[in-house]
Amino acid sequence: MDEFDVVVIGGGPGGYPAAIAAARRGAKTALIEGGPLGGTCLNWGCIPTKTLIAGAELVEQIRHAEAMGVRVGEVKPDYAAMVARKDRVVGELNKGVATLLKSNGVEVVQGWASFESRRQLRVKAADGAERRVRAAKTIIATGSASIVPKMLPKSPRVLESQGFLAQRELPRRLLVMGGGYIGCELACLAAALGSEVTIVELLDDILLLLDPDARKEVRRYMESELKIRVLTGRALESAVEKGTEIEAKVGGETVVADGLLVAVGRRPFTEGLRPERAGVEMDERGFIRVDDRNRTSAANIYAIGDVNGILQLAHAATSQGLVAAEDATGGRPAPNETVIPGVIFTMPEVAVAGLTEEAARKAGRAVKVGRFPFAALGKAKAAGRTGGFVKWIADAETDQLLGAQAVGAHATELIAEAAMAVRAELTAVEVGRTVHAHPTFAEAWMEAAHAVHGGAIHLPPPRKR
Amino acid sequence: MANALAMPKPGQFTEECTIVKWRKKEGDPVAKGEILFEIETDKSNMEVESFFEGVLLKIVVPEGVPVPVQSVVGYVGQPGEKVPDAPPSPPPKPKAAPAPETRTAPSPTPVAPAPARAAAPAFPGAPPPPAALAPPPPPAAAPPAPRAISPRARRLAREMAIDPAKIEGSGPNGRVVEKDVRDYLAARGYDRLRVTPAALELARREGVDILDVNGSGAEGRITVEDIRNAVAERPQPMSRMRQVIAERLTHSFTTTPHFFVTVAVDMTDLTEVRREAKARGAPYTVTDCIAYAVVRALTEFPAFNSVSDGRAVRRRTSVNLGLAVSLENGLVVPVVRRAQDLSFAELRAASVALVAKAREGKLTPDEMTGGTFTISNMGMLDVENFTAIINPGESGILAVSSTLPRPWVRDGRIVVRQIMKMTVSADHRLIDGATAAGFVNAIRKRLEDRTLWTNLMWS
Repeated sequence: MDEFDVVVIGGGPGGYPAAIAAARRGAKTALIEGGPLGGTCLNWGCIPTKTLIAGAELVEQIRHAEAMGVRVGEVKPDYAAMVARKDRVVGELNKGVATLLKSNGVEVVQGWASFESRRQLRVKAADGAERRVRAAKTIIATGSASIVPKMLPKSPRVLESQGFLAQRELPRRLLVMGGGYIGCELACLAAALGSEVTIVELLDDILLLLDPDARKEVRRYMESELKIRVLTGRALESAVEKGTEIEAKVGGETVVADGLLVAVGRRPFTEGLRPERAGVEMDERGFIRVDDRNRTSAANIYAIGDVNGILQLAHAATSQGLVAAEDATGGRPAPNETVIPGVIFTMPEVAVAGLTEEAARKAGRAVKVGRFPFAALGKAKAAGRTGGFVKWIADAETDQLLGAQAVGAHATELIAEAAMAVRAELTAVEVGRTVHAHPTFAEAWMEAAHAVHGGAIHLPPPRKR
Repeated sequence: MANALAMPKPGQFTEECTIVKWRKKEGDPVAKGEILFEIETDKSNMEVESFFEGVLLKIVVPEGVPVPVQSVVGYVGQPGEKVPDAPPSPPPKPKAAPAPETRTAPSPTPVAPAPARAAAPAFPGAPPPPAALAPPPPPAAAPPAPRAISPRARRLAREMAIDPAKIEGSGPNGRVVEKDVRDYLAARGYDRLRVTPAALELARREGVDILDVNGSGAEGRITVEDIRNAVAERPQPMSRMRQVIAERLTHSFTTTPHFFVTVAVDMTDLTEVRREAKARGAPYTVTDCIAYAVVRALTEFPAFNSVSDGRAVRRRTSVNLGLAVSLENGLVVPVVRRAQDLSFAELRAASVALVAKAREGKLTPDEMTGGTFTISNMGMLDVENFTAIINPGESGILAVSSTLPRPWVRDGRIVVRQIMKMTVSADHRLIDGATAAGFVNAIRKRLEDRTLWTNLMWS
């Protein structure tokens, strides 16, 4: 039987960096993966969606090219070609991960893992071959899977995100169940490429992880420019397949579509893993309970990423993976990072870091908000991308920057600066003093920081009270 | 003319009270008998009703300010009625009580004991000692004289979030000048400090000396959380009640030579008799039985019902039994007066009523003073044994622990019996070991007397 210092179960954005980090710290490391390397993120999540959205973005830009003084002929998106490009990109990155693991001396064990005891795992390969592995430390990084409500019909027209991305063509009429970030991103993609899209969200608004002002900005563009129908505060009561159509009842109304995308959330993926055999405790929803260094209830076993339910984001998983790998190899890492930026590739893009204004107020903190619209920014005007804004949420007493949001062009890139500022406990005054190059979109952060104290240069002076 | 509201005098010895809460705002209508405000003395909280009908015209004494009893605290009258500009005498004189008045007035500073109370605790009710013999009142807790510091130095210290009081001044008469601050910063290695901007801002705002904070961030960086922890760890004044407890118990424990005698009581029979009585609808508690046994024993051992200051001993002709009652954040000791004259049923009724009032915070100060002996019962708290501190003005206290099944030797055989330990604390100036042993065994014998309880509970 093979013995390892560290065994990582799952090769996604949590697992493979954890394996590399453990190996670099001198541990004999194995990574068990039954599917392709890179996990949901690389194969059916972040990377493929962004690859396709890049195409849709280009279409959307060309559609507005005339305003920039560029006349173009007919725009003909070729979805099949876009999907082929996506598969190429994913394939290259798959290989890249395999090469990285190999060059760091991580042994990749193909197959699905199952605990036999706290120290022993059985790995079953696709061909049925079994292998046993002993591990001094185990890092569970098995990720999550889409939730598909049982009421929905089993049909090739009813797809969750993974199935949706495998399609060679988009449905002419798409119904999206769930107005979270996955539903909204794919809705924008389909709408920009010509689908008629309807989103049904049970809660009162879409993208509820954002502040109302940011949500409003995104929703306005989705509705008025992309012509997406957004039905909020309404349940999708039933859906049936009729011939080549899906007929759904939504609050008394019948919505007919050619495809239904289910994006109502993701559940922890632990099928066949049998963590209970190792004494690993899970909560009532099946998430593995961990402490702030990702240690489970069983000694020497860690759980990182989606499966521990802290925050279902690839980069959170990576960060947790590094913490777990350091702890598992005798280091004394700092606890998990708490400032995790979130990026959403809707049209327009939107991003968030730290506390939202709503969350800060709910926590009973006095806050000051500084907002700066791209419409007042020279570079945004020049680039013809004046929609959106950035905003800081600052503690009214100490001026500490508690959080930030950005909507509009490059929002997902811009948020990095905000995350850095929030984590470093910078104040609005400090960021306002930091010189930002002109002309750039990033200047908006500096102006918004000034605006916290009513001093943005390129905004009208604050009204005297 | 509007009716003046006076601060009531809730107890014989109470000189000063504080309004902790006004239940009415200025302009609110007030009916006769409605609660106007709540007051706090050094012993209890109490609600004060209105004798008048009308509108609360003016609040003279705000919440949290101690004033002498009988001071005018506000006015009730008809809307538009005139309120005198200066309240009639006696005017509120917050914290300005002259020396003799400090007998039961709250101590002028949170920690300094009231001088007269410390001087004559053994004889409550005796005339106060002559002023000449009383210890001088402690110096008022005036803030330390402001150190001379230049405005520039002060501004720099605030900017750097450090405490300028720690800086040695080089100016005339030790005045701290900017150069002193800079030298101090250099000497303390301020440059090597790593502080996040928000943490520095918070430290300035909260007046935290950043040089006293250990950083928990990477490479010892001081974060907002570190400053918040420093703020949270600052000393907070204790509640009035805790301060009184602290003062009285410290005084007792440091001036009274305590000694302790423990006995184990076989409560099996009493437990059975109680259970039978309860089935008949006569629910007596263990506490009731102990109280009764203690009262009887006190009449046999008068030393435990006396008090001494080391020079004289004062016997008390009546047994005033204190019952320690724990509250959410402290304890009070209601007193059953003339307990020796009460039957078992009367003693139970009196103690039940007092304990209920204590739990509701409604004891009057007179119901909490004048005790001659105290029982502290932790039986419901699952403890093997403990010792208690004698209440000032008394010579003993009985600490009662839990009744627990224990192996017990009876007629040469080991059997399981319900055993309760109790420990008497005694003032050795007045009481010797033999007396204490006799006293505690007298209580034990009564508790183990099945016939006694059968008779008492059948009656």
